[in-house]
Amino acid sequence: MKEFSRDLWRILRADKSALAGAVLILFYILVAIFGPLFFHLAAFGDQAKPYLGPSWDHPLGTDSLGQGIATELIVGTRPIMEVGLIAAVITTFVGVVVGLITGYLGGWPDVVVMRVVDIALTIPGLPLIVVIAAVIHSSDPFVLAAILSITGWAGLARAVRSQAISLRTIDFMAAARVQGLPLRNIVARQLLPNVGPYVAIHFLLGITGAIYAEVGLFLLGIAPISGTNWGIMINLAMSQGALYTTKTMLYLFSPMAAIVILQVSFVFFSRALDNLFNPRLRVQ
Amino acid sequence: MVSYLARRVATAIFIIFIVVSLSFFMIRLMPGNGMEFLQSQLSRQGGLTTQQIQQQVNAIYGVLPTAPIWKQYLQYLGHACQGNFGTSMSFPGKPVMSIIGNALPWTIFSVAVALIVSFVIGIAVGTVMAAAQASRITKFVTLFVSFLSAIPNYLVAILLIYFLAGRAHIFPPGGAYSADVIPGWNWAFIGSVIMHSILPVGAYALIGFGGWALQMKGSAISTLGTEYVRAAEARGLRRRRIMQSYVGRNSMLPQVTLLALSLGFMFGGSVFIEQFFNYPGIGYYLVGAVNSRDYSLMMGCFVLITISVVISNLLVDLLYPVIDPRIASPAVRKRRTTATSAAEEQPAAVGGTMA
Repeated sequence: MKEFSRDLWRILRADKSALAGAVLILFYILVAIFGPLFFHLAAFGDQAKPYLGPSWDHPLGTDSLGQGIATELIVGTRPIMEVGLIAAVITTFVGVVVGLITGYLGGWPDVVVMRVVDIALTIPGLPLIVVIAAVIHSSDPFVLAAILSITGWAGLARAVRSQAISLRTIDFMAAARVQGLPLRNIVARQLLPNVGPYVAIHFLLGITGAIYAEVGLFLLGIAPISGTNWGIMINLAMSQGALYTTKTMLYLFSPMAAIVILQVSFVFFSRALDNLFNPRLRVQ
Repeated sequence: MVSYLARRVATAIFIIFIVVSLSFFMIRLMPGNGMEFLQSQLSRQGGLTTQQIQQQVNAIYGVLPTAPIWKQYLQYLGHACQGNFGTSMSFPGKPVMSIIGNALPWTIFSVAVALIVSFVIGIAVGTVMAAAQASRITKFVTLFVSFLSAIPNYLVAILLIYFLAGRAHIFPPGGAYSADVIPGWNWAFIGSVIMHSILPVGAYALIGFGGWALQMKGSAISTLGTEYVRAAEARGLRRRRIMQSYVGRNSMLPQVTLLALSLGFMFGGSVFIEQFFNYPGIGYYLVGAVNSRDYSLMMGCFVLITISVVISNLLVDLLYPVIDPRIASPAVRKRRTTATSAAEEQPAAVGGTMA
């Protein structure tokens, strides 16, 4: 672990964009955790002050209801990050368990599950998510995250499976089998550490994928519009004609910038992990 | 080759079957499902006997709500095989299939053009980046390209509309063609279609090409390390030829596999892109159907999007053995190398002009 963090630090120091990504992700996490404690949105904003420009009180101006856009951004961070994180945990967990077990066991469960994986990989995920979200129509973060993970696990399951198959024939696995270790031990203690890198990178990219789809659902108005998050902000700005006036420009662009910065940070940081786990890439 | 083909086709048909079944059970079995919704809506309106309500439901969904579920299912499957997905509710009297039939060509057109544009540009940029890995420009372009590929496509769509259609009025803000041209093979119509498609296609491509470039770069770099490339260098072949015929062609193989995966992603993206550009493709109608609770149209769109993806995947699968004969049958490889070596120059030359 110590060696790991030393390596990570070394790579981050060499790759400034990855370092910036890591710092920004940390910042977003802090905002998501502590933001709502310090900033509150009034149920009704100051009706007399719609569409103000940036000021000391409202660094990014106000929206149509006179609410501070900066405050809305901060309050809206948690729901987005929360759902993205839960969805990534679900896809990663399912992908890893399915991949390791089918890859290690082989036989007919493998054949059946891989057929399911094929289907999940072929069906376009976003339309499926849209359709399911339309039928279920829930704003509960866990339900939303579960919907978003409906096909996301399949790619990881397949990658982990092929890793597990190639690990099956390696000596330490044979040793574990000879000792008669239970399946749980083999999967968790022998196989899992060896697929760790894939999983870590997939986890990060899983968060970006979930955030992409989640914000999209709010943008299209398919997920119920309640509370405040970045997707809802953009949706409201658009429906107030933000595309054709300059008045609502900050209202439209601030949440967009928040999303882009977060997504880019994740991608840049995941590249550093890629370098860390893949020494072959490091040499080149 | 034949067994390879048969296996692919069988998988494709199986997936379509699964999706059609999925669409049936989602409408019928989910809480608050479309059919119950319609029934309660009709009975609230009043003035209709139970018999008439059932006939209405039957007309829209194509199945009798009172029949046992397995019978409904078989009926639905039978209709789906004939391309009958019932009648739309938000466009009264119009069969779902005729709406989709008008929408699908727009989606296929824009997605296909965007995919080709982003693939060609991405492969070219990626090969160049791999050839000059150490240079400063490559490092900057890598950074820039991974920045681009991390931006959600709908945000790019919004930005394009805002700056190029809303502010600057360079491009039309929406629709597939202007109202004042007559659809048909005339220049005014074709020009209008092209003008209207530039922004949507640009939104797909701007995001898409980055991913291709990065993958191509990675793939080309690992090909650069192989022995046959070293051998080619030792033989004193020109750099350009090595990049084209040895590196470009071999590192393109994994990209073709990814082509299939990205197709699904792009068709999925049409849900956003078409909505913001008011582009009357299938994603546009899918979202419209969701918002007006038009479940038969929604499921029809979903099934047809999936079928489009499955068929395009099939096409990519069929393309694969052409690019790499080893896929179809390892034994063919030896026999065909002489025959294909002439043909092999062709695609490699395309890659070369880009490099």
